[in-house]
Amino acid sequence: MAGSTNTPTALLSMEGVRKSFGAVVALNDASLQLPTGNITGLVGDNGAGKSTLIKIISGVLTPDSGSIEFLGKPANFASPADAREQGVETVYQDLALAGNLAVWANLYLGRELTVGPKFLHVLDKRAMLSKTSEMLSRFIRNVPPIAEPVELLSGGQRQVVAIARAGAWGSKLILMDEPTAALGVAETKAVEEVILELKRRGLTILVISHNLDQVFRITDGIWVMRRGRVIGYREKARSHPDEIVSMITGAAASAGAGE
Amino acid sequence: MIFRPRGRGVAVVRRHGVLIVFVLLVASMFVMTSTFGTYQNLRNVLQQNSIIGIIACGMTFAIILGGFDLSVGSMTALASVVGATLMIELGTPGIPIGIVGAVAACLLVGATNGGLIAYLGVNPFVATLGTMTVVRGLIYVATNASPRFGVPYSFTTLGLGRLFGIPNPAILFLLVALLLGFILHRTRFGHYVYAVGGNSVASAQMGVNTARVRFAVYVLVSVCAAISGIILIGQTASATPQAALGYELTAIAAVIVGGAPLGGGRGRMAGTIVGVFLLGVVANGLNLFGVSPFWQPVATGLILIAAVAFDGYSGRGAFGS
Repeated sequence: MAGSTNTPTALLSMEGVRKSFGAVVALNDASLQLPTGNITGLVGDNGAGKSTLIKIISGVLTPDSGSIEFLGKPANFASPADAREQGVETVYQDLALAGNLAVWANLYLGRELTVGPKFLHVLDKRAMLSKTSEMLSRFIRNVPPIAEPVELLSGGQRQVVAIARAGAWGSKLILMDEPTAALGVAETKAVEEVILELKRRGLTILVISHNLDQVFRITDGIWVMRRGRVIGYREKARSHPDEIVSMITGAAASAGAGE
Repeated sequence: MIFRPRGRGVAVVRRHGVLIVFVLLVASMFVMTSTFGTYQNLRNVLQQNSIIGIIACGMTFAIILGGFDLSVGSMTALASVVGATLMIELGTPGIPIGIVGAVAACLLVGATNGGLIAYLGVNPFVATLGTMTVVRGLIYVATNASPRFGVPYSFTTLGLGRLFGIPNPAILFLLVALLLGFILHRTRFGHYVYAVGGNSVASAQMGVNTARVRFAVYVLVSVCAAISGIILIGQTASATPQAALGYELTAIAAVIVGGAPLGGGRGRMAGTIVGVFLLGVVANGLNLFGVSPFWQPVATGLILIAAVAFDGYSGRGAFGS
């Protein structure tokens, strides 16, 4: 059974989580585990509950019932800031970069280095500039010009910066919602390389994607959702896109989804 | 992933366009008139533009933040009426009390603006139009729309005196510009003004307290208006309830001409200073050529439109990107 992946090495596990908006049940008894150090895919049709699930993990939404464990301890993220503090970063679909600010300023946004008397908060631009290259080159092969405003970069470069920022601050789990939805082929490849580099650095990643080719290229395992339920997990090496499609559409409901 | 900067020449003109126009303007004024370059005239230019300059320094923060403040003219008049009244009632020992009272009155308005905009989400246009009208109305009510005379004459040192030949208001303008330029370009608070003006949602997601930044900016603007109002007392030893009418639009125009588009996220303190003096030198030039002063707003408006049109045309302006 797929449930055998419920190992003690799960960085995060969710048990019986339910979330409804009025009469609409967005998540119904959802349970899943994210193995430490893996890239895990989360797939499902529109309205299956993927975004609700990711918003609960990132602290944007609070579950009605159910429990979440992070690093082996009960986790109850009150807000995205709270989640970030505990090591859960989210790469938002709208990028969350300030276009008028330089790459270095976006990387350090909200975490600026200062110099001199404390109360003045004088920016230490030199230190931030010099550390930005180093931090980004850990994840990115072609670091974009760090002193240029982000709005002068291509969409792919911006997404790369946003993802690298999520990885740069010592986070443990990174959540991504359709990270390459708006990108071309070459840019998608560059972003996927950054995601794989994050994994090599030991980070755990949950990625929502509609692109099954991509899911099979970069993930280690795949959770499938349908109609607000998490219906099963497949290790990538032992599965096939056709199987995932039949799970998403419900054609394989009786074939045993691990429930 | 190769990054190509655009042509160097275009970048220079875009970045320094207003400065180039300003330098050309001043140079041609020197050539075309014998009076422009005299100490007397240059002193006049400084004297006449310092009050609006100080207001424009504060306005630069509000515009980079993505807003603006229409109540600065009313606040300037408020500071001047409150300060003058206290000084008249209490005599020379009341001068510091008058200054404190003027600043406190403006802080109250600034905090109201900031509270409405930052914490209640009121649109800056609506909030500051409201306080602009209310404050002006209250000034009329309190003074019965008549001026206040009899401020101790010693106080005119502030408005009319000079240090090393430079008018004191211009020295205050310089100090305010240096201080606010430092805050805007060197400190974390100034950095957050750009961040919130560029992408408020992203800034909040990354942990910037955007409401506090907004609130602080409108308070800062009110302090600048208070300084201007106090200088105004020093120029006439009196206060007029009708003072500083329309200053808000002149200040906004100077900031925009100086390169900060209304959309927010962009602008420099140095640009604002150039914008102030560009409009000021044009007004002075019209004066020197004997053109009716009624033409001055026409010139200001045309420069404003030309600057914004150029900015938009060069792809980076108020309505670009």
